[in-house]
Amino acid sequence: MERWSRARSRRRRRCLEYVPSPTCVSEIKRLESSGKDAHRWRELAGRLGSLDRAALAAELARLVAHYGQDIVGNFDPRVYRFATKVLTPGLGFLFSPVRSVRGGVGGLLAELDSRIQVEGPLELLRAMAERGTLVVTPTHSSNMDSVVIGLALERAGLPPVTYGAGKNLFTNPFISFFMHNLGAYRVDRRLRFELYKDILKEYSTVLLESGYHSLFFPGGTRCRSNVIEPSLKLGLLGTTVTAYGNLLAEGAAHRRMYVVPVTINYRLVLEAETLIGDYLAETGKSRYIITDDEFSRLGRIVEFLRKILVHEGAVVIRFGRPLDPLGHEVDDDGASIDSRGRVVDLRGFFAGADGAVRKDEQRDAEYTRLLGRKLAAAYPRESVFHATVLVARAVYDQLCGAAGTRDIYRLARLPPGREVPAADVVRGLGALRSTLAAHPEAGRLHHRVASAGDGAVLDDALRALATYHSHPVVERVGEALRIGDVKLLYYYQNRLAHLPTEARS
Amino acid sequence: MSRGNTVGIVGAGTFGTALAVALARAGRAVVLYTRTPAVAEAIAATGRCPRLPDVAVPAGVTVVTDPAALAAAARFVVVAVSSTDVGPRLLELGGVVDGSHLIVHAIGALAAPDDVRVSELIARSTPVLRSGVLAGPARPDDLAQGRFASMVVASAFDEVIAEARRLLNLPPALRLYGSHDLAGVELASALAGAYTVALGLADGAAVGVGPRAVLVTRAVAEARRLIEAAGGETRTFSGLAGLGNLLVRGATDDDPDYCLGQALARGEPLGERLTEGGRAAVAGLRLAERRRVRMPLLGGVAAVLSGRVSVADAARLAADTVAAEE
Repeated sequence: MERWSRARSRRRRRCLEYVPSPTCVSEIKRLESSGKDAHRWRELAGRLGSLDRAALAAELARLVAHYGQDIVGNFDPRVYRFATKVLTPGLGFLFSPVRSVRGGVGGLLAELDSRIQVEGPLELLRAMAERGTLVVTPTHSSNMDSVVIGLALERAGLPPVTYGAGKNLFTNPFISFFMHNLGAYRVDRRLRFELYKDILKEYSTVLLESGYHSLFFPGGTRCRSNVIEPSLKLGLLGTTVTAYGNLLAEGAAHRRMYVVPVTINYRLVLEAETLIGDYLAETGKSRYIITDDEFSRLGRIVEFLRKILVHEGAVVIRFGRPLDPLGHEVDDDGASIDSRGRVVDLRGFFAGADGAVRKDEQRDAEYTRLLGRKLAAAYPRESVFHATVLVARAVYDQLCGAAGTRDIYRLARLPPGREVPAADVVRGLGALRSTLAAHPEAGRLHHRVASAGDGAVLDDALRALATYHSHPVVERVGEALRIGDVKLLYYYQNRLAHLPTEARS
Repeated sequence: MSRGNTVGIVGAGTFGTALAVALARAGRAVVLYTRTPAVAEAIAATGRCPRLPDVAVPAGVTVVTDPAALAAAARFVVVAVSSTDVGPRLLELGGVVDGSHLIVHAIGALAAPDDVRVSELIARSTPVLRSGVLAGPARPDDLAQGRFASMVVASAFDEVIAEARRLLNLPPALRLYGSHDLAGVELASALAGAYTVALGLADGAAVGVGPRAVLVTRAVAEARRLIEAAGGETRTFSGLAGLGNLLVRGATDDDPDYCLGQALARGEPLGERLTEGGRAAVAGLRLAERRRVRMPLLGGVAAVLSGRVSVADAARLAADTVAAEE
């Protein structure tokens, strides 16, 4: 609380110049475009010109308090501390209510918990969580991520995290009860003015400075195309560098922070149809917020859980080795190491010419970009490919070879029901395996794929691809495979879009 | 003088020595590192650096032969060695600097083994994150004599630009401009050297002012293409590091790249005198091929350097290709 008020006064002092005017304009536009009453904002906008500095400061303080409260919501540090420190490992506070619900979604979720597979250097990460603050940064492909990563953290014996969840998650009946108590604060992505973004960042900075383990999706929103996010929006991730710099300035160099890359790998993605539809309809200008997708329909979630996630290993959450806030790798003792494997002292990176720690937002933004590049390089390496992805890629390669183009817009205009020989696809699977084996930095095969023959992998993938979505993505017709939905085929194969081109021949 | 106010210079070549002399004359604290003890001894004994013998090195320049002494004395380090030497020098430097150091390099060429920009090599070889490049038409003689010169310092970090200006600006003799386009300035500086060789070739072959102007404008056009393909800003080549460099160096009789071009035009063999500009031409062309950028002029310079074609043929070939394609 003390940190938060300090941060707020810091913000107040600094920000009188961007005062409420842009905020008013943005809020009036937002409310009136959705037919809501904005007279309070109009009235404030009218008064702004006549306010003196003190009155302006008071207005700003009121706004900060208003949006701050909206963000903080029900987050209660006591609940968080209780969950982190008091409960015995293995008894997740977050998920215990689920198990008490018999049948229905709760029962399925308990089932899901036993089906998800968690991999990576978990023992090391548990040690890091004792030693410092974890910043968990997963790839983002589905709204299910929020649930799945929570389960994964608990399964891995890692502490719960705070995180900024989109406001729409709070209105979803299935998920809202996960959100309210444990660590989730609200992010309203409709509010795009600087004041709101700054308050959000300040809140996140304060949480990190106070040692709350946190989670950000550095990709921003769910990835529409299903490629492994090559460029990251960073957003709140930057608060890690800021918070660490603030701790150093306070002389608390021992308070370490560790950024943990995580990939969430689904056999099938709940909202695949909406996401790829949106991507192809508006490439480059995708809707930032989607509220009317599969996730908003409870029946669809239940179906997804029943049909898909009951497969063993249907979701693999793979944790990578932690990085420090500047993107350095860390050794097993948590010390930062440079590209030549030598221990480096982070304090120097924040020091000015006089040797003292210096605040510099531009420098920190650049450090955040470096961190983002390291994360973007870690994601493919830590990715796990299901049979569905591998088969989608092999089928897509065959389709493209036959059609003479890899352009999805041209492929989508071909007459439906194109077929490719199953035998060629099986051969393609073999080639993809070799390419992946030769490029460990491009990711790894799911353990069930690794241990099965190519024919069995094809059968397994077809079971999933032919049954869950509205139309079969691919299905077997005699000796051939018929493509029922080329857009979804493209979506699933995109997970391997980063594979070197020799695999594309 | 404090570590934060001291400039460390790696390399007692012509540029490094001239910069050290100019800074020391203005009363700034300078530590000059040379890995060759004979150079340090010569400066101590005669007050002159063998690579820049016409200029007296002021007593204010501290010459060291231990890189650790440089790293301990200066937070801001300028690397001014040749591109053939930069790999080992950065590895050595990487062993003694830490995250508190700022490094800018003044190397107008790409670096071995795979034609990387020197700032990329700094990131690989040292723990330093805040790095930049110093480029532009500041001739060592002008610097040492206190004559007007301008350079640009480029870095992704405002702090590097600000520190370079605070520590290196010597108005009215040396003025520093700032840029955030690190990749663009590094490539512009390297390519300017390569085109300086081309200007030497053209002038040596006495092509005349018309073809010379065509050469300069086509150089600007193809350099912009490569810079854009490599993630830089196209306008950067029109600044000090690119065109500024080219206009000055391509009219300077003692510029090594310009002299090399003229010698080749006279039919002299290349022998052992490949310059930074010559190396940049070959490396730049490899980079262009990898990025699928057409660079007929650069190709012409590289072909002459390799001895595959005569100057006259190269000129005709380049002119034909340029005129046919653009």
